[in-house]
Amino acid sequence: MSPAQPDFDPSVDIGRGLVLANPVGVASGTFGFGFEAEALAGIEHLGVIFSKGTTLLPREGNPPPRIAETTAGMLNSIGLQNPGVEHVATEYAPRWAGWPVPVLVNVAGANIDEYLRVVERLDGVKGVAGVELNISCPNIAHGLDFSTDPRAAARCAAAVRGVTRLPLVVKLSPNAADIAEIARAVEDAGADAVSAVNTYVGMKVSLRDRRPVLPGAGTGGLSGPAIKPLALAAVAKVRRAVRIPVFGIGGIASAADALEFMVAGADAVQVGTANFNNPKASSEVVEGCLAYAREHRLHRWSDLRWSGLESPG
Amino acid sequence: MSPVAPELAGSSDLGRALDLEAECLAVLPLESNLFQISFQAPELARRARPGEFAQIWVDQGRLPLLRRPFSLSRAEPDLGVIAFYVGAVGEGSRHLQRFRPGDRARILGPLGRGFTLPARRGRSILVSGGLGAAPLPLLADRLRERGEELIWLNGARTRAELYPDRLLPGGLAEVVRFSEDGTAGERGLVTAGLGPRLAGAQRVYACGPNPMLAATFRLLQELAPRAGRALPLEVSIEAPMGCGFGSCLGCVIPLRREPGAAGSELGLCCRQGPVVRAELLDWERLLQQPAHLE
Repeated sequence: MSPAQPDFDPSVDIGRGLVLANPVGVASGTFGFGFEAEALAGIEHLGVIFSKGTTLLPREGNPPPRIAETTAGMLNSIGLQNPGVEHVATEYAPRWAGWPVPVLVNVAGANIDEYLRVVERLDGVKGVAGVELNISCPNIAHGLDFSTDPRAAARCAAAVRGVTRLPLVVKLSPNAADIAEIARAVEDAGADAVSAVNTYVGMKVSLRDRRPVLPGAGTGGLSGPAIKPLALAAVAKVRRAVRIPVFGIGGIASAADALEFMVAGADAVQVGTANFNNPKASSEVVEGCLAYAREHRLHRWSDLRWSGLESPG
Repeated sequence: MSPVAPELAGSSDLGRALDLEAECLAVLPLESNLFQISFQAPELARRARPGEFAQIWVDQGRLPLLRRPFSLSRAEPDLGVIAFYVGAVGEGSRHLQRFRPGDRARILGPLGRGFTLPARRGRSILVSGGLGAAPLPLLADRLRERGEELIWLNGARTRAELYPDRLLPGGLAEVVRFSEDGTAGERGLVTAGLGPRLAGAQRVYACGPNPMLAATFRLLQELAPRAGRALPLEVSIEAPMGCGFGSCLGCVIPLRREPGAAGSELGLCCRQGPVVRAELLDWERLLQQPAHLE
C-alpha cells in the first residue's frame, strides 16, 4: 500500500523506537498469537499485533461455556488460556521475528512479581517488539485490582518499567471509577502508551435456566459494537488526561469506526471482536483508513482530532 | 490444572479455507423448524470434505454479531453447490430460514477436521440423532463413491425431527428409523439399532446430541469382541463457537493425548474437531458442558 499522498505520513510513533506503519492493530485475545490469521488472511498490512494474554506459567483457562452472544456484542470468559511465557519466547517469537509487523506481547499476572518475571523473560527476545500490560483482565481472580486502583496500577507499571527497555503499553480497564486517573498514574510511572479500553464487565442471563449463561460468578468481558459509544467516551477522557499515545479499542469493525476513535483522541486503534467474524477485518480497516486519508487529504492522523479535546474536559 | 498442549495436536489446515460471498439457490422448508439451504459456491463445493464445517455470516451486519457454524451437509463439485441442513433454533439460523434465492451470505470454510475415510472397502454404519444428521449425507456420498456399503441409523425424538427420507443419499444398503416417542420407525433410542448390525462392519460414524454420542461410544466398548478392539468410532461434536478458526478459544472440548490416557486437556472443537475419534474424548467432562452458543 503506497502512502495516501506525498505529504501524508500514515505512521504512528509510539516511542522508544516503536514506529507503526499505520495506526491499525489487532487487540489482544482476538487474534491468538497471530498464526491463525496469518494462515487465513495474511498479516502484512497490519500496523501492530497484540498477542493473546501471556502469563508466567501455562494456563488452561476457564471451563466452558466461555463465550455468549449479546445484542451487538459478545461476552467472554476465556480465563487467559495460554501456553506460558517460556513457550511464547522460544516458539512464537522466532516466527514473529520474520514478520513485517511488530508484535507486542500482552502480559498478565496475578501479582507484580509475575508481571516482572514474564517481562524479564521477554526482554531482549528477538521478535518481541514490546509489551502491553493487561492490568485489567476481568476473568481471573483479583484481575481488576491493578486496574481500578491508581496506586496499584502505577506500582505495577513502574516495576515493569524498571526491568525492561521494551516499549511499554498499559491496557486500561473501563471498569475503574475514573479511567483518567489510572491513565495519568501509569503515564507518570513510565508507560509509553495506553490502550483504552479493555472489556466491560457484563452478564447474560438465561431465563430458561434462571441463571447466568457464563459459569463461575456468571460475568464476562463485554466487547463488540455494543461498547463503541462507551469506549469513545473513555478514549476522549483518557486523551485529555495524558500526553502519551492512546490506542483506542471498543467495537471497531470498519474504517469509519477506527477514524471516529481518532476523532475522539486515539493515536492508533485496535480491532478486536470483528476479527472473529472476519479474519480480514483489520486489513480492511487499514485499507479504508488510508483511502479516507487520501480522499480527505490528511497530512497526519491527528488532523482528525476533535478540537474540543484540547482543553481539559 | 492439567498442562496445556501448546500446539493443537492434529489441528485443521486453515490454508484450505476461503471466505467468499455466496448466493442462495434455495431454501427447502422441512418439518418442525428444519430446513435445507443451498448456495452456489463452486470452489467451496470442490474443497469440502465430509465432516468439515463453514462459518456463515448471515447478514454481515451486527445482528447477530457472530457467524454461525454449520456442517457441510452436501457438496456437489459438478454443480458448484453446497447445502446445509439447519434447525431454526437461534437468531442466526432463523435469519437463514428467511433467505430467498438470490440473497447472499458470506461463508468461511471449509473449516475443522472432518471424518476419516477407511483405507479399504467394507461396511460402515452411520448414526444420526436429530439435527446431527447434517454432516452425514456428504459423508455417505463420499463413502459410496469409494464403494463402501452403508447402513444409516436415523434417529430423533419424534417423527418431525427425523432427517427426511426424501433427502437421504442414494445407494444406502439399509436405513432404519428410530423415534423416541414411537411416531416413526422403531420406538426407542437410535443406539438400539447398533448391536445387531455390528458384525461385518468396519467403522461407525455418529453425529447428534452429546449424550447420544456418549451412549454410542459406551455401547461399542461393551460390545467389543472378547480380546478384540471395539469398532473405530468417529463422532462430530458441537461446542459454543465464536470464530471457528482458533482465535477466540471459546469452543474448548476435553481431549485425551492418547486413548486410555488418564486426564484430558482442553482442545479446540473448531481446529481439532468437530470430528474426533471417540476414544480421545473425555466424555464425562464433555457431558457437563453446553453444545451451543447462547
